[in-house]
Amino acid sequence: MTVFIFRRLIQAVIVLLATSVIVFLGVFAIGDPLEILLPGDATAAERAQVAASLNLDAPLPMQYLTFLGSALTGDFGNSFVFNRPALSVIFERLPATLELTTTALVLSLVIGLPLGLWAGTKPQTLVDESVMTGSILGFSLPNFWQGMMLVMIFSVWLGWLPSTGRGETGTILGIRTSFATWDGFTHLILPATNLALAQIALVIRMTRTGVQETMPLDFVKFARARGLSEGRILFVHVFKTILIPIVTVIGVEFGSLIAFAVVTETIFAWPGVGKLIIDSINALDRPVVVAYILVIVAMFIAINFLVDLLYSLLDPRIRGRA
Amino acid sequence: MTSFKSAALAALLCGVAMPALAQDLTIGRSSEQSSIDPQFSRTGNNQMTSTMIFGRLVEFDANLQVSPGLAESWQNIDPTTWEIKLRSGVTFHDGSAFTADDVIFSLERADEVPNSPAPYTDQVSAVAGMEKVDDLTIRITTNAPAPTLMEDIGRVFIVSKAATEGRSSEDFMTPEVAVGTGPYKFVSWTPGETLELQAHDGFYGTAPEFKDVEVRFISNDAARVAALLSGAVDVIDAVPPTDVATVENSDGFSVFSTQSGRIIYLGLSMRADTAPGVAGADGQPLADNPFKDPRVRKAVSLMIDRQLIVDRILGGSGVPAGQLVPEVLGGHADDVIPDQPDLEQAKALLTEAGYPEGFSLTISSSNDRFPGDADLAQALGQMLTRGGLKVSGVQVFPYNVYSKAATAGEYGAFVFSLGSSTPTSGPSLQALLHSYDKEAGVGAFNRVRYSNAEFDSAIDTALQEFDEAKRIEMLQDATRLVFEDTPIVPLYWQVIHWGLKDGLAITAGLSEDTLPQEIRSAE
Repeated sequence: MTVFIFRRLIQAVIVLLATSVIVFLGVFAIGDPLEILLPGDATAAERAQVAASLNLDAPLPMQYLTFLGSALTGDFGNSFVFNRPALSVIFERLPATLELTTTALVLSLVIGLPLGLWAGTKPQTLVDESVMTGSILGFSLPNFWQGMMLVMIFSVWLGWLPSTGRGETGTILGIRTSFATWDGFTHLILPATNLALAQIALVIRMTRTGVQETMPLDFVKFARARGLSEGRILFVHVFKTILIPIVTVIGVEFGSLIAFAVVTETIFAWPGVGKLIIDSINALDRPVVVAYILVIVAMFIAINFLVDLLYSLLDPRIRGRA
Repeated sequence: MTSFKSAALAALLCGVAMPALAQDLTIGRSSEQSSIDPQFSRTGNNQMTSTMIFGRLVEFDANLQVSPGLAESWQNIDPTTWEIKLRSGVTFHDGSAFTADDVIFSLERADEVPNSPAPYTDQVSAVAGMEKVDDLTIRITTNAPAPTLMEDIGRVFIVSKAATEGRSSEDFMTPEVAVGTGPYKFVSWTPGETLELQAHDGFYGTAPEFKDVEVRFISNDAARVAALLSGAVDVIDAVPPTDVATVENSDGFSVFSTQSGRIIYLGLSMRADTAPGVAGADGQPLADNPFKDPRVRKAVSLMIDRQLIVDRILGGSGVPAGQLVPEVLGGHADDVIPDQPDLEQAKALLTEAGYPEGFSLTISSSNDRFPGDADLAQALGQMLTRGGLKVSGVQVFPYNVYSKAATAGEYGAFVFSLGSSTPTSGPSLQALLHSYDKEAGVGAFNRVRYSNAEFDSAIDTALQEFDEAKRIEMLQDATRLVFEDTPIVPLYWQVIHWGLKDGLAITAGLSEDTLPQEIRSAE
């Protein structure tokens, strides 16, 4: 196990290093931050002054080495736009995104698993057909369009739910969250639903397929023969078996939910990192872009690691091998 | 599935009313400031926010015209010495009195804010020395005669010396440091989310109508419009031209439109003997760069139907342009009118210039800088083709890629824009059309590298003139002179829109600012 963790760490460092080079070069290749940062009427003298103060007048390899040197001490540089440490700009917005994606993930499990089990145990019935047809809508309708429709229906026409921003936030255990107030909670419903729809469909389909594949297997027959109740067979034995692929996919999907919450965040003006990164790319705010991507990569690495650990909890055979 | 969820949600929320808005006024704004420190950056977004909280020596009205602000009056003692009388009885948000010390401190700090991406360096560059005569009088000496000194230093926001000294831009996140003399007090800013303001009771000017104001930052166009229509916000700015009709036709909402000072133009590169993307009609390289010939530039201008572009691509959100600045700005020459499409004359000019068969060119544009920029490039391509040129391609890029390449001179024919932020056309003319000279700091945006010695001296003398009426006349003459030569092909000035809940009215103009102090209940 120690060797396994050690190897993972080495891999992580190499991936992070490679990513930083690629992103650094990428942002450099896109354009010149000065073109975006400076006001329309800046003079040549102002341009030179700004270039010098942001260290943009140094040759690119020097800029990278300067960045790498301070990054090793945990300093990813100041955002060109906000003049504040890039990491603190990111971590200021990350809770909002985590709150949104966690809620979406919980929604997708709470709604997707029961529906999938229900459809899986009643194959070829009206229930199965309706759930499966509904789930097709979930992942085939474009996320962006779904969001706009939610806003149109629930905010503009019905006026039930707010459509922009995070609303009033309160503090629970020192974390600023929308869960703390009713106003904040109502602000969370539409964006979380929007983000969850495709995930719900995915969970439903994986669960249904899992159930249908597992039910005819021998161990289910033996369990029945032993006189176990149908409920126990389904919720304990079958459920545990089908959970492994679902956990894998959900783990990876959680990472992409965070990385791609940007569409939802844009539609609902949710002040998360997704919106920050798009704005930063448009403004060529290199420190923020580089730091953000490194944070996301680190997060993916951590999630995959957790997924591997979860496997061994769910499946004793994997535990034995490790 | 979807319907099941909707039903569940509906059941869950039945009877839940929308939370009452605690604010008197909520504004949905498309752009966000990068700092509350009014001297950190002078981009439009930052200036807009600063205008709510901080005062300046002079006020700029919605059309950028100057009137006394924190300075009550000013006069030249000699060409390089100015005496400025400050307004008495002005207090900062924390109750302390505004004095000459605050002005001197602010002007000194203006070009010294660390890591500022857009410092106010140019605004204070003429200042050689400042002397406090008494608490409300300052004497400023300049390096050289500076007729526009008050416009320049007048753009710098005045901070409180006592509250700001020794503080960083980041410290402005607290109301104790972000202290100004403006109509609103800073309460809080949650980046990416909201800015909260409260009316300043001791404001020396007209008291704003709304006490508590919340500005929400909603950058996505569709989301901003939805926020207005759902009642989440009372006012939004930058209504996209395609949504103007939607807002206007919705019950309970109105649209306010005004011409902006931003001109959209087609640049024709005269940098070198060959322009990128330009070749003969047969595809062979040309001996000369055709854009160096004013007759060719004029011919291109005559091929373009500006009114058609405005009507069909912008849904009416534009005003055809024939020069740099619109008529409300000083220096606009009424007799310089936009070219009307005239293909015959264009053909005649091309023949005269030695291109009877035309030539081929590529048109470049951004695709996310202003509404319709990519469509505009397509339309220009069609119009130039109809005019007898061979358009071999139309290419569009995101602005962050496009701007660098355009400045580096990688495009032959390219669409660009320039906003006006000064009361007269002078600085824009100098930045866009003066011969490029990096050392002298002129022609900074002369991406086409147009050069005309006669115009250079005309604009230089105009900017040295102290008498304002005379200066404006000279700027008009310079405009006539230079547009005779078609240095760029002006296309149109943008028209911009605000969406308002019924019962509200806004005063806004060329500055494109959305200011809570300019919003009031309509009659």
